[in-house]
Amino acid sequence: MTPMLQMRGIVRRFGAVTALDAVDLDVCAGQIVGLLGENGSGKSTLMRILFGMLRPDAGGIVFKGGELSGHTPAQAMRAGLGMIHQHFTLVEAMTVLENVMLGWPRAGRVLRRREISRMIVETGARYGLEVDPGARVRDLPLGRRQRVEILKAILRGADLLILDEPTSNLAPAEVDGLLGVLRRLRQDGTGIVLISHKLPEVLAVCDDVVVLRAGRVVARLPVAAATRQSLAAAMLGPGMAGAAVKAGRGTVGAVRLSVRDLRGGPPGGMVLGGVSFEIRAGEVLGVAGVDGNGQIELVDSLAGLQRPAAGRITLDGRDITFASVTARLRAGLAYSPADRAQTGLVRGMSIADNLALRQDRRTPRRRGLLARQAERLIREYDIRAPGPQAVAATLSGGNQQKIVLAREIERAPGILIAHQPTWGLDPGAAGFVLQQVARLRSAGAAILYVASDLEEVLSVSDHVAVLFEGRIAGIAPRAEARMDQLGLWMAGGSA
Amino acid sequence: MDGGRLGVSGAGSVLQTLGARLGLAALLSGLTAVLLVVLSGHDPVAAVQALAAGAFGTRSLIGAGLDRSTPYLLAGVGVALCFRAGIINIGAEGQIAVGGLGATAAALGAPVGSPVAAITLALIAGALAGAAWSGLAALLHLVRGVHEVLATLLLNFVALLLVQLLLAGPLGQAGAGFLQSPRFPPSARLPRLPLLDVHLGFPLAVLAAAGGTVLLWRTRLGFGLRVLGASRSAARYAGFRPPVLTMLVMLLAGALAGLAGAIEILGLHRRLVEGFSNGFGFRAVTVALLGLLEPVLVVPAALFVGFMEAGALSMQREVGVPTAMVTVLEGLTVLYVLAATSRRGLR
Amino acid sequence: MDLLASAIRIGTPLLLAALGGLLSERAGVFAVGLEGMMLAGAFAGLFGAWATGSAAVGLLCAMLGGGVIGVLVAVVAVRSRADNMVTGLSANIVALGATGMLLRLLSQRGGASGGEAMHWVPLAAWSPPGLGRLPVLGPLFVQPPLTWLGLGGCVALTWFLRHSAIGLTLRAAGESPAAALAAGADPRRVRERAVVAGAMVAGLGGAVLSLQQVGSFTEGMTGGRGYLALAALIVGRWTPFGAALACLMFGGAEALELHLEAAGVGINPYLLQMTPYLAALTVLVLVGPSAQMPAAIGRSYANDETR
Repeated sequence: MTPMLQMRGIVRRFGAVTALDAVDLDVCAGQIVGLLGENGSGKSTLMRILFGMLRPDAGGIVFKGGELSGHTPAQAMRAGLGMIHQHFTLVEAMTVLENVMLGWPRAGRVLRRREISRMIVETGARYGLEVDPGARVRDLPLGRRQRVEILKAILRGADLLILDEPTSNLAPAEVDGLLGVLRRLRQDGTGIVLISHKLPEVLAVCDDVVVLRAGRVVARLPVAAATRQSLAAAMLGPGMAGAAVKAGRGTVGAVRLSVRDLRGGPPGGMVLGGVSFEIRAGEVLGVAGVDGNGQIELVDSLAGLQRPAAGRITLDGRDITFASVTARLRAGLAYSPADRAQTGLVRGMSIADNLALRQDRRTPRRRGLLARQAERLIREYDIRAPGPQAVAATLSGGNQQKIVLAREIERAPGILIAHQPTWGLDPGAAGFVLQQVARLRSAGAAILYVASDLEEVLSVSDHVAVLFEGRIAGIAPRAEARMDQLGLWMAGGSA
Repeated sequence: MDGGRLGVSGAGSVLQTLGARLGLAALLSGLTAVLLVVLSGHDPVAAVQALAAGAFGTRSLIGAGLDRSTPYLLAGVGVALCFRAGIINIGAEGQIAVGGLGATAAALGAPVGSPVAAITLALIAGALAGAAWSGLAALLHLVRGVHEVLATLLLNFVALLLVQLLLAGPLGQAGAGFLQSPRFPPSARLPRLPLLDVHLGFPLAVLAAAGGTVLLWRTRLGFGLRVLGASRSAARYAGFRPPVLTMLVMLLAGALAGLAGAIEILGLHRRLVEGFSNGFGFRAVTVALLGLLEPVLVVPAALFVGFMEAGALSMQREVGVPTAMVTVLEGLTVLYVLAATSRRGLR
Repeated sequence: MDLLASAIRIGTPLLLAALGGLLSERAGVFAVGLEGMMLAGAFAGLFGAWATGSAAVGLLCAMLGGGVIGVLVAVVAVRSRADNMVTGLSANIVALGATGMLLRLLSQRGGASGGEAMHWVPLAAWSPPGLGRLPVLGPLFVQPPLTWLGLGGCVALTWFLRHSAIGLTLRAAGESPAAALAAGADPRRVRERAVVAGAMVAGLGGAVLSLQQVGSFTEGMTGGRGYLALAALIVGRWTPFGAALACLMFGGAEALELHLEAAGVGINPYLLQMTPYLAALTVLVLVGPSAQMPAAIGRSYANDETR
């Protein structure tokens, strides 16, 4: 059978980096192809090219017998491609119905609200994608929003569906539901590309697997011939599989950070419903959980960017519950926020200014001083940059994160709060981050490590806690943590 | 707005591109000016000659141009600082008006014999009044979430009417036929400098510009303003309190604008007159943007606009090109500069 | 009733401008340029009507005049992604200068006629048959044509935003340009068109002043009405009828001022002139920030990757 989609010799460069190097990809009707790879391996770039959001430097695409080149996303959709982005592209202020009608010629120039509404209900029932057409997207949980995205694509008659990391925001039970939907779509002859770096779900639902590493296809095989180990080895490359942080373990000391019954959060956001834990010197507490279960509220409350409604936070015995950001800095609290672009860094400012961003106001701001300090940190933390006056935005994500870590760790903090510190980094930079965390732990700091990737959390932590709907669903020492138990906690089962 | 937000590629190449883009903007402005003169049916060469003669013809004309630039410079420095912090303060017009009001109240209400004391008192009163007006706008913005553009704009209209209201009442000169206050006593007139034939306000304004640059680049407060302008959440993360920074920079800008208003009437009109601040608010924005939000660069920008306007009067008189042409040119030039310095413009 | 009728009449230019601003803001571009769009519309409308003797041509010219300022804003604020606020403000100044300059040139050419270069007999009031003669409520329905146009515009715009595909795309561009792009629309083009269309409507608002209320043009004759319209649009929560209500209120403040003045009540005229601005500020303070504000307003959107 001729494949429905044939991508041949796709090349794409970003500056000096070759993100895709002669990549081929075939997908047949009624087939689910898993596209595996680490962050930065090129899988998203490949799919963005397919969908017309990026132009390839070389290579060609044939879809349903016709050539696709120089196309826009709109033309891709008309040709029968549907893409479910990792970050949903729904208008939150609008209803499900309006989101489905948006940009869809079938909805008519004068919108056929009733007719489309009926179609949503009918198609939803058929594929297990039930959703209320009149509900406002803003009020829907993430799993529901994904249903809307998939419905949108199916209703528009997508023959090939691309799902970019569709399970990263879902609890395990929702993941099962999604896999069921994909199987039903396959029965109806839809081709599916599932982008993921999670092996179990790929093994569970895909027919074929393609593994990308550093912009090249390193493996292409039917799923029946694949094992978790073989895929992991292919993804990570020789000698990298199973590499965990094995830094010298210091002695665990007294309690440095203690959080008692912390409540609050901004109006409308996920509210913390009483979080308690403590971290001792020389210890890493990892917090796992599906994104949006109170992670941001927790770290922002600890860092002083959000005022808790109730509870008590003590740092080395001192109450800092309502202390200002400055007071927390002086008390020895370091914070590496998930939002590097807007919070952790000022992208338009120099490296030197960024390294001095959280400098105590009692230290003088002298230019020579700042420049010398910057030069030293650039050396010590191996920040690849032309010099201290280089603008932060011009650096790669890994080097930007190094600026944040250098600044926070440089103060020899008593506690570090790290939120998604490896997000979007290549394996080398991510390894550097984990190393720094381990080094700080050996030095006797207490570390709160919050990330959405369970394996990453497990690899770095001494204890693992799971956050669900603003509460700690369970907490366990790493040695005793079992995957099935953690999965249950993430889905809302209690300890 | 923030210079920091502009950079995308390396710092050096950004500067080069920015320079090229600004050069293009300047060229476009010049062409627009010629086009406007030609379209209104006049000879551009004669118009430029008349403009130059009107602006620089004699020593006293030069002094008049400097006088005219002074309030633009003072208020423009304040606007530049606000814009750097990401606060779009377009209330300079009202703040200038209220500053004039404050100075008038001090000059007429508190008869002090010594000129130094009288002038100092009047200038301080003007600055305080201007700061109060901008502080009010900041308060509405911070406490009730009224967008700062609307708060400052609407307060402009209130301030202008407030001046008229008071001139028609307690501050007015009865039976003058115009809305104006009585003349100030001689002790409350701003002295003129012997050398340049300009009032004392001009050197004060240049000092303020220099101070603005030091504040912006050499102090922690200035660093905070720049961080705030780039990202509010980064400012909070860095330990700054955005509402405090917002209030401080608004008060500072209001004080500078109020000072501009005080200087304008103490140095030029020597009495409060209706509508003395008309159009000053936008000129403050114009010179701030032409000066690329860099306080010391606002000095040449303010001089440029001030002398253009001074020359335009003679251009209208001698050649017949309407002075409104300069207004069109100012508006378009700001648009060119905006387009040249916007994020996309630098890609 | 008389007061209410004149509040409606006086609120008309604000209403048309606010409707124009609504198009622009719902698409995600701040409408600070309304003042200039009105001013250009007022001038061009009067010029067109005066030169051809036709009110219809005048209205067409008013839309074109407002549209020119709209194009200016669209190019700088949307295409070049400059700050919306400062762009709008500058466009206002361009309009102020350009209309002033043209007026002066016209009067120079027309010889000694001075400021009264152009004039027009204000449009007469009209009422739907029968309604004008109703007891008590009658005077409400006797309104000039552009006032009826404004009210019709409210209904049309409400329908357009909710029930037309273009309206839906326009709202998406203001709420989430990324989502609009993913749905196959070009948010930048949508915004550009919305700004220009809105500017044309705001131009009509200006024409109300010159063709329907005064019959002549004076420099800067809008006198801040564009900014009031902007406030009305915000107070009205970005909905046409909400904006209409707010315009009615601001119009009422001005109508009251005129009524009191005519009645010879001894209230300071300057204080009275302040009332619309103070009313706008008070309402803005009372209503506070709103969740209805289009989420992506004023934020430029980079969709270069597709081009």
